Amino acid sequence: MRRKVSTGISIALLLTSLCVSAAHAKGDDFNSVVRMIEQFYNVKHEGIPFLAKAGLKVVGAAARIKGGEVRRLAEAGSIKIATFEDQAFDGDFTEFRKSLNSSMVQTWSPLVQTVSATDGEQNYVFVREKGDKFSVIVVNISPRDAAVVQATLSPKNLALLMKDPEEGGKALRQEAIIDQE
Amino acid sequence: MKSLLKTLSRMPLAISLCLIVTALTVKAQDAKIQMAHLDHLASRANETVDVNIDERLIQLAAKIFNDKDEDEAQIKKLVVGLKGIYVKSFEFDNDNEYSAADIDSIRSQLREPAWSRLVNVTSKREGNVEVYISLGGPQINGLVVISAESKELTVVNIVGPVDLEKLAKLEGNLGIPELGIKPAKQKKEEQ
Repeated sequence: MRRKVSTGISIALLLTSLCVSAAHAKGDDFNSVVRMIEQFYNVKHEGIPFLAKAGLKVVGAAARIKGGEVRRLAEAGSIKIATFEDQAFDGDFTEFRKSLNSSMVQTWSPLVQTVSATDGEQNYVFVREKGDKFSVIVVNISPRDAAVVQATLSPKNLALLMKDPEEGGKALRQEAIIDQE
Repeated sequence: MKSLLKTLSRMPLAISLCLIVTALTVKAQDAKIQMAHLDHLASRANETVDVNIDERLIQLAAKIFNDKDEDEAQIKKLVVGLKGIYVKSFEFDNDNEYSAADIDSIRSQLREPAWSRLVNVTSKREGNVEVYISLGGPQINGLVVISAESKELTVVNIVGPVDLEKLAKLEGNLGIPELGIKPAKQKKEEQ
């Protein structure tokens, strides 16, 4: 009897933990990615540096992708950003990539991923449907800086991001920084 | 009871339809190859590019191409029928960073009769460029390009109706690298 009860409790706990982790994965992947970067590289995310704000104010937030018209990509108020400034991102990027993909694969589609060992640059773009729009998570890691951006995009703007994911990712980051002001 | 009999009498048709739909889906998916075997090369590569664009995303991307621009309109026309674009590309500092087994992991999926290798294909790239097509009846339903240079390995898999002429137009768009492949006589080579 005691064994049955303990088995029942174990199963209940297992089911609860599965439900929680599934909800966690779907609900707050942005924070999960930020935490993953912090744990993997032993770094801490922070607010937007003043100089970056000032610089971007001059440049402007809008994106110009593949010579196209200047436009904002993200839906108003939809952007979240976490930045990491002047910290060391030393670590095996293949391991990081593996961990990132395995944690995201259930609820996100990896659209484009570029990794440069020479420059120490990593760029990841994940996408998933959100009603009639799309959510994207863009992760950019350089040797000394990193940023994670989550935003909601219209189908048209997602298509624009797909046309030039690298520039689109940068544009989203700029938009996010200005929106944080 | 009558309705049960009616339902049962319809079952074979429903099952047949399901089987046909499944078979068609499987056929289309057949042209998608597995490339995950190559992921281990990322640890040796200087530059790694990984592109995964499924049908839904392709249809979205198609919307961005301008119908009024002749080139873009052509690209849009090509893109609309596609079901997937998958690219893996690795650039290395040194020679021999990938092995014949790595290429074989791709080639082994491209066997006759489902796949045919096109010969007399020219490319601006150095090294060996192999192009394979998958035929679903009279139509091509997939294409794979393996570009193996001494310090670079690129595999492009396009699922859906596409040929070399079309591929040339898609290069540089939607993550497809510039392969410089020129269409030639589409002879089939026995494997």
